[in-house]
Amino acid sequence: MPARVPRVIKTEALVLRHRRLGDADRIVTFLTPGRGKRDAVAKGVLRPRSKLAGHLEPATRVEVVLAHGRTLDIVTQAQTLDAFGGLHEDLDRLSTAMYLAEMADRFTIEQEDTGDLYALLHAALLRITRGDGLHLVTRSFELALLDAAGFRPEWRHCIGCGAAVSAEAIAWSALGGGLVCPACRPAHPDAAALDAATLKVLRAIQDGPYEQAARIRLTPPLAAALERVMHRLVESVAERELTGQRFITEARRAGMAATAAAERDAGAAR
Amino acid sequence: MHDRRADATASPIARLIEAFHRLPGIGPKSAQRLAYHVLRAPEEEARTLAAALIEVKERVRLCERCFNVSHQSPCSICLDPSRDRTVICVVEEPLDVLAIERTRGYGGLFHVLHGVISPADGVGPEDVKIAELLARLRDVDTEVHEVIVATNPNLEGEATAMYLARLLQPLGVRVTRLARGLPAGADLEYADDLTLGRAIEFRQEVR
Repeated sequence: MPARVPRVIKTEALVLRHRRLGDADRIVTFLTPGRGKRDAVAKGVLRPRSKLAGHLEPATRVEVVLAHGRTLDIVTQAQTLDAFGGLHEDLDRLSTAMYLAEMADRFTIEQEDTGDLYALLHAALLRITRGDGLHLVTRSFELALLDAAGFRPEWRHCIGCGAAVSAEAIAWSALGGGLVCPACRPAHPDAAALDAATLKVLRAIQDGPYEQAARIRLTPPLAAALERVMHRLVESVAERELTGQRFITEARRAGMAATAAAERDAGAAR
Repeated sequence: MHDRRADATASPIARLIEAFHRLPGIGPKSAQRLAYHVLRAPEEEARTLAAALIEVKERVRLCERCFNVSHQSPCSICLDPSRDRTVICVVEEPLDVLAIERTRGYGGLFHVLHGVISPADGVGPEDVKIAELLARLRDVDTEVHEVIVATNPNLEGEATAMYLARLLQPLGVRVTRLARGLPAGADLEYADDLTLGRAIEFRQEVR
């Protein structure tokens, strides 16, 4: 006999996204620690006096009570546990958090087991909030998410023949999901060169604990190389460009232009 | 099972019910009530409704300056000589223009983005009318000194506001954001931490 579905569940959750439903309602997508990704209707949250609205923003950790509905669950109570206030003070942090939430949403299927994803996303949001390097937090989350979703990239052996790949003449394939040795490279037309320093950091992030990887000093060119590799990899698995990636790049570009303008103004004032 | 989908061969009343049912917020019962109301109403009322529907599709367009919906371009707000041309209020949707106009507390111009940056929904900066706002501000004839970003106080609205602030900084325009706090008639007990935190941070002296 199938187990009876409980009428009400109370769970901690991270809000991934929301979309409008009718005049005043929203469908909110939650990532929970034990019950995977779940959609639920939050009724009346678009009204100014809604008691739920402020507690159901994306990138917020909440405690929710969901009542089992006929088609979708219904949010009956919500209380913020952590609003990750630090995210909202800086566009780079905010756009990174949006990208991580977008990835967590895209790489999961509703009500399927999502393993450690909740803990991964929660840890990443805490790290962004406390001001850790955004490149490292993002790369670490991307690699762990790909691993959890069954797309762990191979950074030690050739994906074609399984041979250990030497530090010279390293190439990698986004479609194949890892390194390719010189002998197998012709079979991977998308293969591109990868420099030894980038590979070393990718291995350190993938294999070591975060705190150890956090000690690596990422120079701007190294951070940019890592970002290019991971964006291509994520794009190839998702089979599309993630809007969050593009927004991070645009926000950074606008930030650099703003800084340059401020410096120009300061120079002119002197 | 009876198929409710109406095609050209269905009865006129069934087609009308189906047409009303497609409108947002109208369920099957409301659609039936509306259809029978039209049926019983004088013919003139039905003709006025039909003409208004056709006219709105034929004549209403986007204003070439502010992208608000209007029957003329530039729209009446952009053409109004009494409006303050030094301030632009940036909103997400045309309905937000109506909401701000209802306050009677704002006399400047508008710019409608027609959306908000939301990576989760696949909407990036290039999918909303941000480039058009920049073009307006870079226009040699512009008198704008301040841009009020009136996007919704949620994650996507905040991200859009912060992105706009960065983009506009090199132009030397003052960028402001609508204040955030507690809505009228609210209950502190149910307020979320962010809103209550901002309300405390930006508290005002009682006069």
